[in-house]
Amino acid sequence: MSRYAFILAGGLGSRLCLLSERRAKPAVPFGGKYRIIDFTLSNCVNSGIFDIGVLTQYRPLSLNQHIGLGRPWDLDRNRGGVQLLQPSLGSIQSDWYQGTADAIYQNLIHLQRRRIEQVLVLSGDHVYKMDYNLLYAFHKASHAAVTVAVTEVPAESVSSFGILEADRAGRVTGFQEKPEKSDSRLASMGVYLFDRDSLVRWLAEDAELLDSGHDFGKDILPRLVARGEHVYAHRFKDYWQDVGTLDSYYQTNLDFLAARPPLDLADADWVIHTQSAARPPVYFERGGMAVRSFVANGCRIAGGVEHSMLFPGVTVESGAVVRDSIVMQDVVVGRGAVLDHAIVDKDVRVGAGALLGHGDSGTPNRACPGHLSSGLLVVGKGAMVPKDVRVGRNARIGAFVTERDFGGDVPAGGVVDGPQSMH
Amino acid sequence: MVGLVLAGGGGKALSVLTAERAVSAVPFGGKYRVIDFVLSNCCHSEITQIGVLTQHAPASLHDHIGAGRPWGFDHRGGGVEMLQPYLTRSEAEWYQGTAHAIARNWDRIEALGAARVLVLSGDQVYRMDYRRMLMVHQRRGATVTLAVTRVLPQESRRFGMVQFDREGRVTRLEEKPRRTEATHASMGVYLFETAALGELLRDRPADLVAGVIEPLLKAGEAVHAHEFTGYWEDVGTVASYYRANLELIAPAPRFELLNPRWPVLTRDEERPPVHLGEHADVEESLVANGCRVSGRVRRSVLFPGAVVERGAEVTDSIVYPDTRIGPGAKVDRAILDKHATVGAGAVVGWGDPPHDPAHAWLDGLTLIGKDAEIPAGARVGRGVVIGIHAGFDGLPREIVAGSALPSRAWYEGRV
Repeated sequence: MSRYAFILAGGLGSRLCLLSERRAKPAVPFGGKYRIIDFTLSNCVNSGIFDIGVLTQYRPLSLNQHIGLGRPWDLDRNRGGVQLLQPSLGSIQSDWYQGTADAIYQNLIHLQRRRIEQVLVLSGDHVYKMDYNLLYAFHKASHAAVTVAVTEVPAESVSSFGILEADRAGRVTGFQEKPEKSDSRLASMGVYLFDRDSLVRWLAEDAELLDSGHDFGKDILPRLVARGEHVYAHRFKDYWQDVGTLDSYYQTNLDFLAARPPLDLADADWVIHTQSAARPPVYFERGGMAVRSFVANGCRIAGGVEHSMLFPGVTVESGAVVRDSIVMQDVVVGRGAVLDHAIVDKDVRVGAGALLGHGDSGTPNRACPGHLSSGLLVVGKGAMVPKDVRVGRNARIGAFVTERDFGGDVPAGGVVDGPQSMH
Repeated sequence: MVGLVLAGGGGKALSVLTAERAVSAVPFGGKYRVIDFVLSNCCHSEITQIGVLTQHAPASLHDHIGAGRPWGFDHRGGGVEMLQPYLTRSEAEWYQGTAHAIARNWDRIEALGAARVLVLSGDQVYRMDYRRMLMVHQRRGATVTLAVTRVLPQESRRFGMVQFDREGRVTRLEEKPRRTEATHASMGVYLFETAALGELLRDRPADLVAGVIEPLLKAGEAVHAHEFTGYWEDVGTVASYYRANLELIAPAPRFELLNPRWPVLTRDEERPPVHLGEHADVEESLVANGCRVSGRVRRSVLFPGAVVERGAEVTDSIVYPDTRIGPGAKVDRAILDKHATVGAGAVVGWGDPPHDPAHAWLDGLTLIGKDAEIPAGARVGRGVVIGIHAGFDGLPREIVAGSALPSRAWYEGRV
C-alpha cells in the first residue's frame, strides 16, 4: 500500500533570530553538515515513504535549493519523490497559508489520485530519528482516526507544547495547546497520522469556521478530542528535540559533541542524508588543534578549536581560537582572532585579531532581549568583521554588514546593522 | 570525443592493496579513489561519453562508479559504460593488453559515432583540461596526439619516453630506457582519430604503443606530442603511491585537492563530520568525514570512518576506511587497508627496516591487508606485509621485519 507524507516547512522560526532571517527554519544548518529538515526527510525514506510534499511559505529559496530534485534522499524518481508546495494563486481557495491545517487544506488536491488510506503530516523543524512504520502499526491496531506522536517533556516546559492526556490504551482524553501547567507531560511532536477520509472531512469543516486559526494544534485537535473522535497518542521514547530558540539551537548542537551523543549520526542502518558539496577531507596544518569538536570536510585548521562545531569549508588561521562556538560553511577566522560562545552564519569573514565574545553576559541584546540574553553572540550571513574589533556577549552582528558599519568596538548586548539588515 | 579509461590493471606492485581491487580503485587522498581524478577531468572537460575497461577485480570499481552520478554521467543516452571482458561463441580471451581491450569493444565504441577517441589511464593523479589537447590536436591535423610531461632523468626507466621536434612532432619512442636523451615521458593519455585507430586495431595488436602508435610513427603519420606542465603522478608502486599521498599534506603541496573550479568528484560516503575527542591531537594531516580521533595523528591521511582511540599514535601513515587503531597502539610508516583492527597497545612499524634488497620495493613501509586483525600487544616489524584477513592464531606476537603473513579467505575456519 502506498504512503504519502506532507512536511510542514513554512515556519518563520523567529526565535532563531538572524539564523532564520533569510531562510526557513527547516533550512537552518545543524549538526556540522546537515539542515534541520534532513532528519525528517531521512526518517521518511528510511521508513519506506518515497512520496512527499513539502509545504513551504516563508523564504523558501534556500530550502528549494537544498532539496532540489531530492537526490540525496533517493527522491528523484519517476513516480512520487518530493514536491515543493508553495502557496499559489489560481485554485478555488488561494491565499497564503493561514495555519498548518490551512496549508494542508489548500493542497488536498494532491491526495486526489493517490491510492492511500492514511496521510502522514510531519514538521520539518525537529531533530529525531523515528521509524514511522511503528506509528502506522499502532494507528491500525488502535483503529484510530488520527494518531498523534507524543514525547514526554519536563514539567516546566509544558507551556511550550501542545499537551495531551491519554488513557492506558492511548486514547486521547484531553488536549491543551501550550497550557500554563498540566498534570500530563505528554507533548505533541507535530507528527500526525490521519485517516485520509477523516482528514478531508475535518479540514473542509474547519475551513468554514470563521473563528478558527486553521491550525492543527490550536484548533483542530482540541475540537476533535472534545467531541470524542478516535484520537490516539503514540508514545515515542527516543530522542526528540525542537530547536525553536537560539539557546536550544546552540545547546542541541553542542550536545552532539559529547562522548555519548543523543543520536548516532554514523548509524549505517539509519543514515541522515543531506546535500553535500565536493570538498576534500579536513586539513590539519602544523600548529592546528581541535578537541571535543565536530569538523566537517573542506575545513582547514591552523589554529585552535575547542568544544565547537565547524561546518564544511571553515578556515581557522594560525593563532586563532574557536571556543564553544558554532561556525557555518566557508567562514574564515583570521589570524589571532577569537570566537567565544558565538554562532557565526555562512560566509562570514572575521578579521585578524578580532575578539568576538568577551566581557560580561548580563546585558541582554538591545534589539532582541527576549532571545539573545544568555551570553551567546550571533553573526549574520556574509558579515565582514573588521580586524582587532572587540565584540561583547549577547551582541548581534547583522547579515552582510561591512567594516564601515562598525563604529569601533561593540559593547555587550550591542547591535551592528547595515544597509541589508532586515530587523 | 569519447573517453576510454583503462582501469583493468591489477598492479602486482601494490601487493595486498590491489589483491582484491583494481589499481584505479585504490583509495587516495583521504576520500577519493585514484580513478576519480581522471573521471573528474573528463567531467570538467565536458566529455560525456565514457567507457571504463575493467578486468582485474572490477567489483569495487563498478560499485564505486555505478551510473556515474558524481561525475554527471547519468544522463539520457550516454554516460558511463563498464566494459568487461566477455565471452563469445568464437572467443574466450581475457584482455591481452591495452589495444586488445579496446579492439574487443570496438563495435560499441565506433557505434558512439565520435570522431576522436581519448584513451586514458585510470591509475594517475593529475588535473588536466583535455579540451586544450583537442585544440592542439586539431590545429596540427594530428592522427594521434600523446600527452607528455617532463620527468627526472633517473626516472626514465619507469616510463615510455618520447622525443619530439620543435613543432611537437614525435620523432622517437623508447619503452622504459635506462638512459636516454628524451626528457619527456608519455602520460598514457592518447587522442586518436577514430578511423585511424579502428584501422590499426584490425590486426589485433596487444599493446597500444607497440601495436598502434609505433606503426603509425613508422608509416610517417602525424604523431604529435602535447606537453602538460601541471602535477602528474602515476601511483603504480608502493613508494610512488605513498609519496603522492603524503605530498598532499606538505605545507605548499604540489597538488591542491581544494580547487573550487576543478573539484575532484567522488561518491558521497554520507558520513557525519570528523569527531575529535577530548585528547585529540592532530597536525599536518588529512582527516575525512566519519573519522573519530581521540589520539595523536601526525603527517597521515585518514579515510572516512577511521578511528584512532585514546593514547594511540599514528605517524606518516595512510589509514583506509573503517579501520580502527586501538587505545595506546602505535602505527608508524604503514598503509592499513580498510576494516582492519590494530589491538590495544600493538605496534605496527616496529624496529629497523629490513636490509635485504628484495624488500626495497616497500621502502620500509608496513602493509596491512583489509580485515586483518592485529592482536593487542602484538608487534609488527617494518617491511612486513600482512595479508587480507590474515590470522595470528598460533603465531608469535612479534612479526619480524621483512616477513609476510598470507591472506586468508573470510570463511576460513568457519566452515
